[in-house]
Amino acid sequence: MDSTIAQKTWELENNILAVEAPDPSSDFIFYYDEVAQAMSLKAKPWANDPHFFKRVKISALALLKMVIHARSGGTIEVMGLMIGKTDGDAIIVMDAFALPVEGTETRVNAQADAYEYMVDYSQTNKQAGRLENVVGWYHSHPGYGCWLSGIDVSTQMLNQQFQEPFLAVVIDPTRTVSSGKVDIGAFRTYPEGYKPTDDPISEYQTIPLNKIEDFGVHCKQYYALNISYFKSSLDCHLLDLLWNKYWVNTLSSSPLLGNGDYVAGQLSDLAEKLEQAENHLTHSRIGPLGTSRKKVIKDILFNSVRQSK
Amino acid sequence: MEIKRMASSSSSGLTFKLHPLVIVNISDHYTRVKSQLNPPPLTSTSATVNGVENQQQAPRVYGCVIGVQRGRTVEIFNSFELLYDPSTHSLDRPFLKKKQELYKKVFPHFYILGWYSTGSDAQESDMHIHRALMDINESPLYVLLNPAINPTQKDLPVTIYESELHVIDGIPQLIFVRSSYTIETVEAERISVDHVAHLKPSDGGSAATQLAAHLTGIHSAIKMLNSRIRVLHHYLVGMQKGDIPCENSLLRQVSSLLRRLPAIESEKFQDDFLMEYNDTLLITYLAMFTNCSSTMNELVDKFNTAYDRHSRRGGRTAFI
Repeated sequence: MDSTIAQKTWELENNILAVEAPDPSSDFIFYYDEVAQAMSLKAKPWANDPHFFKRVKISALALLKMVIHARSGGTIEVMGLMIGKTDGDAIIVMDAFALPVEGTETRVNAQADAYEYMVDYSQTNKQAGRLENVVGWYHSHPGYGCWLSGIDVSTQMLNQQFQEPFLAVVIDPTRTVSSGKVDIGAFRTYPEGYKPTDDPISEYQTIPLNKIEDFGVHCKQYYALNISYFKSSLDCHLLDLLWNKYWVNTLSSSPLLGNGDYVAGQLSDLAEKLEQAENHLTHSRIGPLGTSRKKVIKDILFNSVRQSK
Repeated sequence: MEIKRMASSSSSGLTFKLHPLVIVNISDHYTRVKSQLNPPPLTSTSATVNGVENQQQAPRVYGCVIGVQRGRTVEIFNSFELLYDPSTHSLDRPFLKKKQELYKKVFPHFYILGWYSTGSDAQESDMHIHRALMDINESPLYVLLNPAINPTQKDLPVTIYESELHVIDGIPQLIFVRSSYTIETVEAERISVDHVAHLKPSDGGSAATQLAAHLTGIHSAIKMLNSRIRVLHHYLVGMQKGDIPCENSLLRQVSSLLRRLPAIESEKFQDDFLMEYNDTLLITYLAMFTNCSSTMNELVDKFNTAYDRHSRRGGRTAFI
């Protein structure tokens, strides 16, 4: 078909690594080996190395459920739990389910309300053939990016003490819809007092002015993991066929109309930042504009945090 | 041999909308159960022995579909797994109740619309299960997914059946009738399905590759539209020449489609379109501006570093 030829040409021109063709052996990831999991839980290789887990693999189903749930919350943060297993230095997320609580940023222990729900759900799942355990939690940051706030960091540190292995995932449904690509981040916190040896450069993202402080204070206390996705051979097949039906939706989607107020919000936030930078300029002592002053202005505009002062 | 009783089209007049999440859910459930039954070979030698026999097992999985019914439109949003009780030939009821409660807490608007299963065709025993569900929903749906991977297939192997009371041989009986459905997505769903389907570069990929990926998506969608219109055109030309017998219902549909096109010429559309266009241009301009000022800033920085007044280099003076 023309579409596949076009896709293949583009892939060739851009040296894209070929997506593995659906083949039954790729479905082995779905097999839950209870014995191996129990062994690795006993061995606890992550207890000694805070940077042990480096990758996350998310299944197509989990991603779909998380994004839809996050979007359905609108501008309210929502949260849920993820089910999966570990595999060496990777955490594999097989499924996700929503929790009936509104995760507002002021509630540290939102999960306390949901324990009963969680236990019930896990039990029914195990009966229905989903044997994996809870392996993390996810929540949404509608409109302000994928990072861990102060409350999130303390919640995650608590989780990592008592419920290892645990992973924190943040999704921004507003930015997902407006940019057309899934905005998601997976994090693990460092234990108290641990100083990371290297300073990884994280991908730049704009953060609104009212959240910048929260972001800056805690951004060194956790690290981001690489996310990759997987799907079964049947999923591949079905999704290919699905394309035949919803190419219409692709054409008819218009991110501008859907996200008008979000874009306006971003613009006003940028205006505020520029004003703040300008005020900083005029109120500081009059003199030649040294490089340090310029750095301060650039920091305000572009969110980087200066640790030394 | 089980006799399958099905009519070809339903007459209830309900329109069905199916979300891709349900399809991925069912497929995941099936894959999970299948891989638990056929554990992956631990060593390469056992693979050849076990693999051949175990490939044949294709378990049937069962579950429930939930969604919303507004008037004549039935929209299926989500689904969850259920247990099949072989002794009563029916679905485990208390389990269903428990799961329903849990899901009601998180999705208070969704009701049980029916059930799903995997297999190649609807079977007689399915009618038992169907009847059992009738006390929750008077007219439940039966969603059937065919998990066999057939590379030549063009259509989604998902069928939706409703039950209808037909009089056969003088006895009123319930039989399954196939209904048509459309795929409906929310914007977020579409993006994530697209994302997983084509495994686009998620993070790290530079802006250029992301833009290219996005444009490729739009490009293939347009190609699809083009090919479909071409097919229609070919068909109409053939009809005109007389190669193909005239089908009036099809001609009516095509003419109604064509009559919708002039909607783009209206003035209101032009106004809206131009406004949107101006907005986009304005934002691009603003972004370009910010980018420029940042680059200028860097230039001044570099200049000042090169001509630093505190260290005499070849007698050059500082530039403020």
